Amino acid sequence: MIDSKTLQYPPLRRRLYSVWYRHMRVYTRNLLSNGFPPFVEPFIFLVGVGLGLGKYITEPMGGVRYIEFLGAGLLVTTAMFTSAFECSFGTFIRLEFEKVYDGMLAAPITVNNLIVGEMIWAGSKGLFFSFAVLCILSAFKIVALPYGLLAPLVGFLTGVMFAALSLLVTSFVKTINHFNFYFTGFISPIFFFSGVVFPIENLPGPVRPIAEIVPLTHSVRLVRSVCMNNYKPVLLLDLLYIAIFILVVGYFAIRRLKKRLVN
Amino acid sequence: MFCTEVVVQMAKTVINVANMSKSFGKIQAVRGLSFSVESGSCFGFLGPNGAGKTTAMKIIYGKCTRDKNPGSRMDIYGYDPVTNELAIKYLSGVVQQENNLDDELNVIQNLMIYSGFYNMPVKDAKERIEYLLDFLELSEKAKSKIKDLSGGMKRRLVIARALLNSPRLLILDEPTTGLDPQVRHLIWDKIRQLQKKETTVLLTTHYMEEAFQLCDRLIIMHKGEKIMEGRPENLVKENIEPYVLEVRDAESATQIHPEKLSNRIRADHAPDVMRYYCSEIDLLKDLAATHLKAGNYLIRQTNLEDVFLKATGRQLNDRQ
Repeated sequence: MIDSKTLQYPPLRRRLYSVWYRHMRVYTRNLLSNGFPPFVEPFIFLVGVGLGLGKYITEPMGGVRYIEFLGAGLLVTTAMFTSAFECSFGTFIRLEFEKVYDGMLAAPITVNNLIVGEMIWAGSKGLFFSFAVLCILSAFKIVALPYGLLAPLVGFLTGVMFAALSLLVTSFVKTINHFNFYFTGFISPIFFFSGVVFPIENLPGPVRPIAEIVPLTHSVRLVRSVCMNNYKPVLLLDLLYIAIFILVVGYFAIRRLKKRLVN
Repeated sequence: MFCTEVVVQMAKTVINVANMSKSFGKIQAVRGLSFSVESGSCFGFLGPNGAGKTTAMKIIYGKCTRDKNPGSRMDIYGYDPVTNELAIKYLSGVVQQENNLDDELNVIQNLMIYSGFYNMPVKDAKERIEYLLDFLELSEKAKSKIKDLSGGMKRRLVIARALLNSPRLLILDEPTTGLDPQVRHLIWDKIRQLQKKETTVLLTTHYMEEAFQLCDRLIIMHKGEKIMEGRPENLVKENIEPYVLEVRDAESATQIHPEKLSNRIRADHAPDVMRYYCSEIDLLKDLAATHLKAGNYLIRQTNLEDVFLKATGRQLNDRQ
């Protein structure tokens, strides 16, 4: 038996941090090609809407100009997309092709640490992408600072939420092409039915409950409140939904991926 | 090469495994495997692919969980992988069969990332990495991209990564498969140096020579079971006749009629080769002289491969 004092494996927060740090280092390795698009995309989107589509939508939507309405939604859709890609294609490649996880799991890290670290990383990417959109929105004076600064936090929560969901999907996926179903069948429709491009109040009555089940709807509601600096008690329910979603879906994602990583 | 004295001096058992089994569905990958390893020794697992060597390694470092049967016990430096996965991982270094390096990062960055997993302070990590790159003769490649490294360099880098935390237990899963002889000898030399510093080594291989060169003790595995255990030279001495006559040409082999063979010669038929084992070399020489043409046969001393062949009844090759 070894003296337990000499055997101090890293504490939990350190283990999570080192997983996060690994992803961060690999991501920032190509800082220019990875860090530039998050700023360019919303710019192009807003220019397109401002110059073209916006002219046809003169009616205020949700009480604000259309460009403000859409801009606020972009703060969270960008977090959703980056996190969903990271924890589906990204995770699958690390799992099956690069075998990165096999190496990491030989270091003092458990599967739980690995997957939770992965979710925190996806959340951080969500935060960064949200922040990039916020920069563009505030440059165009679509969102006023400083209260808009809370929006990246909603981006973080959105990122973690879609990380949990995407990891659960990944745990079922046998070949990388299966992700097409997830993106075409789930992520893309979410973009239209979660109150990003039009208010869900305009949906026909029977369809509305479906919009309430969709995870992004809750992120959108939170981020709109942040942008308008107008908070209502109902937002607590949205936060609760997000918290429960992350815990429940995350739990099953870990359980299923564990079977795949440790056999 | 085999320092008996050293082994005797520190004959302290650090790994004790009893009745370890692992099933994947209906397939039993490991069946009731038991072994113990002394500190600072090199313990080998020899066997064809699919014999269960890798699974046994994975169970030790927690990548696989063993079957729960009541008689099964594991003690790796005082820890059981089921309950103390992190402790075992912290004191071990693992070189897996596949090189799983981060292609996006260069050599030093690959090692720095892993130093974080062991919670090494940055300054210590840098010193350790410099030392390890020098030790594995990779210093010139410190800033190279992974894709610019040769197979042998990648392998040495993976070994350097496993050595970051100065492991007490080094697990090497086929460390030299697919490498050229120079690199193989370099790696063997490094493993011997580590052993001198009391690093315990678990090694799987399907190269007989590797097992013979490095292992203080080894077990031969076949279909998940241990079929033999001992010091490599003793395994040869105790389990097989010292000489063998090999006939690779099927037509020549038919010249030797089984009924005419001396009962002191043991014949072994394989699809592409006939082998005649005997403890007296002269008997084999006579046999060859009377039945075979020069150049059609070979008389040599037996080795570990012959032991393996006898034990498993099958030829060992890389395709298995």
